[in-house]
Amino acid sequence: MSVLTMTATTKTFGGLTAVSELDLRIEQGEIHGLIGPNGAGKSTTIGLLSGFLRPTSGSITFDQRDLTRLDPSAIARLGISRTFQQATPLVGLSVFENVIVGMHTRFHASLGAVALRLPSATREARALTVSVETILARFDLGMLAETDAKNLTFGQLRFLEIARALAMDPQIILLDEPAAGLNEPERQRLAGVVRELRDRGMGVLLVDHDVPLVFGLCDRMTVMNFGSVIASGKPEDVRADAAVVEAYLGGEPAKGAAR
Amino acid sequence: MTEALRRRVERLTLAAIVVVVVLAPLGGSRLLLYSLTITAIYAIVTIALNVVLGLAGQVSFAQTTFMAIGGYGSALLTTRAHLNPWLALVVAALVALVVALGVGPPLLRLRGHYLAMATFALALGTDSFVGAATPLTNGSMGISGIPPLAIGSLSFADPLAFYVLSWVACAITLGFFATLATSYVGRAWRAIATGQDIAATLGIRLLQYKVLAFAIGAIMASIAGSLYAEFTSFVGPDLYDISIVVNIFLMLFIGGRGSYAGPLIGAALLTFAPEVLSGFEKAQNLIFFILLLVLLLLWPGGLLGRSQDAGSMADMLPLWLQRRLPSR
Repeated sequence: MSVLTMTATTKTFGGLTAVSELDLRIEQGEIHGLIGPNGAGKSTTIGLLSGFLRPTSGSITFDQRDLTRLDPSAIARLGISRTFQQATPLVGLSVFENVIVGMHTRFHASLGAVALRLPSATREARALTVSVETILARFDLGMLAETDAKNLTFGQLRFLEIARALAMDPQIILLDEPAAGLNEPERQRLAGVVRELRDRGMGVLLVDHDVPLVFGLCDRMTVMNFGSVIASGKPEDVRADAAVVEAYLGGEPAKGAAR
Repeated sequence: MTEALRRRVERLTLAAIVVVVVLAPLGGSRLLLYSLTITAIYAIVTIALNVVLGLAGQVSFAQTTFMAIGGYGSALLTTRAHLNPWLALVVAALVALVVALGVGPPLLRLRGHYLAMATFALALGTDSFVGAATPLTNGSMGISGIPPLAIGSLSFADPLAFYVLSWVACAITLGFFATLATSYVGRAWRAIATGQDIAATLGIRLLQYKVLAFAIGAIMASIAGSLYAEFTSFVGPDLYDISIVVNIFLMLFIGGRGSYAGPLIGAALLTFAPEVLSGFEKAQNLIFFILLLVLLLLWPGGLLGRSQDAGSMADMLPLWLQRRLPSR
């Protein structure tokens, strides 16, 4: 079983320490929640895990494999997928194409086989097209397959973003505020999807401001404030932690609720 | 224009092009055949740019560099090394490939404007180099007397035979483009063009795919350069000066980036415009550029391009008038 681990990782921008001595462990088959007030370093953490940022010190490994020198594309090819907070589609590509492009690493036909339309290449493309249709149906986007992704509603874009990240069949998926801006039914669907991913054996890092959602879903969680971990463990233990209540749950309830 | 309508218009345009190309030799003049042959050759270069810019989104001005490698490669290898013209064409294309694989990786690490600037320098350098390297290229005099392509007893010195050859080459290039564009390779390019960071998170090797597009474009442009040299049996620095680079960009932008028929329409418009407008004599260029400006303002995505996000004048004009005219 694969494990994504961050050990004593620090990231500074100039004089500012965004993440300090962070330890984090995401296992396949579990949902790991990451919460904290704005500016706590959650997005920086996802940036570090997905290779968009390089740590100033510390180590990030995936099954003993050092990730700190790899670029985002190499990390993705190891089976670690991520979504973005902004839920940006690939504009000019249809909904179908947005998802099938997520299957890039599952295409193995050579350039020659593609150019000459060899049966092997055609068969591969057809098989993966079927998988795209399954994914689109799961997210209720089947009817919109041929639509340009820019025409989707905000909620649909959020699900398209997840569908695209899932298409590569990752071992670990990092979700950056997937619930932001969703209405109640969409939020319920998101919860269902995240549980399903875990049950299929994926490891999920769930970063969100939606405190009830994160507490309700995750198996273990980490709470950050000012770049450091202030509590981690099972949700029920974290909820009782005095530091968490002060820094986040009690201290800034309005912020959590407003999101 | 909706995407479905755009596709239908594009299919009709392709059908119309086939009809014109097939019928032209029956009734057309020598001049028409000549212009259509030039159109086919420039369409190949425009398709090359369409791979690099239209699909992969990389603004590269290196087209004439690779055309020059094809043109001068064919000229030198046939007149000095006395190679078979077909073999010369293939060797030149391989040289273009090697050059593309050599300069591609450092250039394509640059993004946006920096890539444009660097390749623009390459285009400027090409023009000056072939003009100045007199011992090799015969300077501004160029190289003439390039022997024609032939298959057995069929010589492509015959204008009609070359006409057929050029359009067959163009059709093959377009077929290759269409196959790539609809494959996972084409989708990876388009993902890089619209969202480089997203493409990376999907495991797409950014530099490798950009270099691939650049190399394929280089081979296409080199073949077109060789064909042009074979057609006119002459190469000279004027064929690769900076105005040609601009023309190739105009062909693609007017025709429609990313589309199939666009490069052919663009190449035809720019090849035929001087003839059509020749009646205006000195005002010819002015009228031509005013028409271009209007075309690009009305259809920023090109005649056959996908509708762009940037509002076109055609969309914005009614709104603009609404805001400025007194309300009734």
